[in-house]
Parts: sequence; structure tokens; C-alpha cells
Amino acid sequence: MSALPVSVITGFLGSGKTTLLSRLLRDPAFERTAVIINEFGAVGLDHLLVESSDEQILTLEGGCVCCTVRGDLVRTAGDLLARRAAGSITPFERIVIETSGLADPAPIVHALMTDRDIAEALRLEALIATVDAVTGAATLDAHPQSVKQAALADCIVLTKSDLADPQANGLAARLQALNPAAPKLIAVHGALDARRLFDSHARHDAALYETPSHHHHGGINTFCLRREKPLHAATLSLFLQLVAEHCGAKLLRLKGLVDVVESPGRPAVIHGVQHVFHPPAWLDAWPDDEPSTRIVVISQGLDAQWMGDVLEVLDDEVKACSIS
Amino acid sequence: MASVLTGALGLWQVAGAVQRAEDGWIVAVDGATLRIVPRAPHGWLIVRGAETLGEHAGLPGLLRHLRQELAPHAQAGRLIIGAQSL
Repeated sequence: MSALPVSVITGFLGSGKTTLLSRLLRDPAFERTAVIINEFGAVGLDHLLVESSDEQILTLEGGCVCCTVRGDLVRTAGDLLARRAAGSITPFERIVIETSGLADPAPIVHALMTDRDIAEALRLEALIATVDAVTGAATLDAHPQSVKQAALADCIVLTKSDLADPQANGLAARLQALNPAAPKLIAVHGALDARRLFDSHARHDAALYETPSHHHHGGINTFCLRREKPLHAATLSLFLQLVAEHCGAKLLRLKGLVDVVESPGRPAVIHGVQHVFHPPAWLDAWPDDEPSTRIVVISQGLDAQWMGDVLEVLDDEVKACSIS
Repeated sequence: MASVLTGALGLWQVAGAVQRAEDGWIVAVDGATLRIVPRAPHGWLIVRGAETLGEHAGLPGLLRHLRQELAPHAQAGRLIIGAQSL
């Protein structure tokens, strides 16, 4: 049985998550979607604003899905899958989780990727962050959670663009510098081509690995490690282990195309959120005419020079082991 | 190598200094001084005074041992590979 796609919509309070979700569900291509909504307030309202059949919408109340109700999320997703398998619910082809506006999406992604009860049945399709074109810049300045939500996203949706132009007010450029690997989509009155949302996680366009310079914002820095010479596969494995061991939660996200000695012409795609990584994927060919390693790192203060030096030392050691 | 060691101290939130020595590097932290000596053909020794504390085939083992010696309070993460392919 193939894994069912699951997407997470995150974004700060009032950034347009529910509007986006509501519009998505009206798209005939997404009508067979089950929705899990995390309501943080004492009385949940968001689920009333989403137009869909009641049995397709489940709410998680009483806390934030990233901390207190993470177990509930896993149970709810598991229940949905069981009811689908038993035929006691309208068959659905996708799950969308809307987080509360204050949620840190990392623990949610980790649960979806690693929880033994659901990880094999579900496939993380996309982590989508909504950012309000009107108040987004001020929100990024004032609320570190919103920066983290945008930094971790596979795809960023700029909402309320009918009220403010995110290109003109600099928000689009700021988000590009913060998370260059995420496509930026502009929603007008909550509407956009939904298909573009859900292919972002698996996209490996070379342009998504471009980051023009080291960027700092609100304690978060973004940089790209570049390397002309191919890396040994063992180097890559040791590097990821070392980074996970020593960088801890300072590593927010790492996504890269890697030129591997043992796989000439077929780059590895690596992708992790904090210390949890997908198994590497292998492309059949380079997506552009620059066959070299590019690893985009979004972190809370990690040093690009240090990471590059670690990579060099490890590769020298692996090379020496291979020779001796 | 000096920059790798210095950067590691920063990650562990330990104030210290790394200096080049004749046979390797000296890491000095809060009164504790360790020598890091390259071992041919590859690998590292960690030496305190005349005592060899450890011998490691590569950087991962070296940094792990240094963290345990110099920054036992620092949290150690662990790489997890999820079940799902990209």
C-alpha cells in the first residue's frame, strides 16, 4: 500500500491558514481530503470556518499541536487511517493538518516522519507556511515563532496580497533570503493553484538551492555550503551525524544537492528538519549545468565556516582511510 | 583543524582557546589543558599531561570525547533517519 500524502499548513495567528485551507477544499482536485485542525483557544472556531463535510474535519483542542497535543495528533491520524481502511469514513486521498498559529512545526514534522504508528502509512508531502503580506514583516520582527515557521517551510504562501504588494514592501525578498529553498507563492483572496503547493517538498530545482549571501535575521542565519569536489558517501553520512550530534536545535533545516564520489552524475538530495532527516534520494541527473555540492542551511547562529571546515576535515579523513 | 575545535567549543558554550602546538593542537578550557595529536596514517590522540585519554579514528569520535571531557553539560543530539523517502 502506498503511503498517503500529508501536508502541514502552519503560519502565525491571522496569517490566512484557514482561508487558504478553505479555498483548497473547494478545489475539486482536493475534495477527497481529510483535515485535522489544531485549535489553541478554549473554544475552537477555525473548523467552523472551513467548508467541508463534518466527518472529514477533526479538531485537536486544548493545546498546541507541537507540544501538548502531539500524541493526540498521532492518535487522530492513526484513527483516520484505520477508519479509512475499514471503509467507515468517506475515502480520502490526502490529509492536511492546520496547526495553531503559535506552533513550532518541527515536532509535528518529526512525528510524521518517525512515529512508528503512522510514519510508514503517511508521506510528508509539504510543510506550507502562510505569511501575511500586510503584517508579515512586523510579525517576523516581533515573533520568533513566525520566523521559524517560515524558515522550516517547503513552500511559503504570501497571503492578503490584494491589500499589500509583498514585492514592493520587501517582504518577498526577506523571505527569499530567510528560506531560499522554498518556493514563494502569492495567494489572492486565498486562491492559488493548489497543485503548486503540494509538489514543493519533492522539488529539486537547482534554483531552490541558490542563496546569494549569508543572511541573518532575528537570530536565524541562512547560508549555502558549496563544494566543487565530490564528497565520499561516508563523508556525507559522518557529516550529518556530527551536525545532528553537536548542533542540536540550532540546526533548523538543511537541504542540499550533493555530488557523491560513488555516484557520478547522480546527485544525492538530502533534507532534514533539525536532527531528523529523510533517507537521501538520488536524482537521475543534475537539475542544472552546475554539477557541484550545494547545501542550504537555516540555523540559529551556526557558523558557515565551521560547517565547511568540518566537511573538509571529514572528507580528508575518509579519503585517507580509503587509501591506507 | 583549529577552527573546527574553536567552533566546537562555541557550540558547547564553553569559553576556551585553541593553539597550534609542535605536535598538534592545545585546547585550554577553564584550567584543563588537552593536547590533540594527529596519529599516522589517520586519527587523533587526546592527551592530558603524559596520559593518553583516548584514541580516535576520526573527527566524530574526537569531538564526542572532547565534549564529554570539556562540556559534559552540553546536550548531545542524535541523527534520526525517518521512514519516508523524499
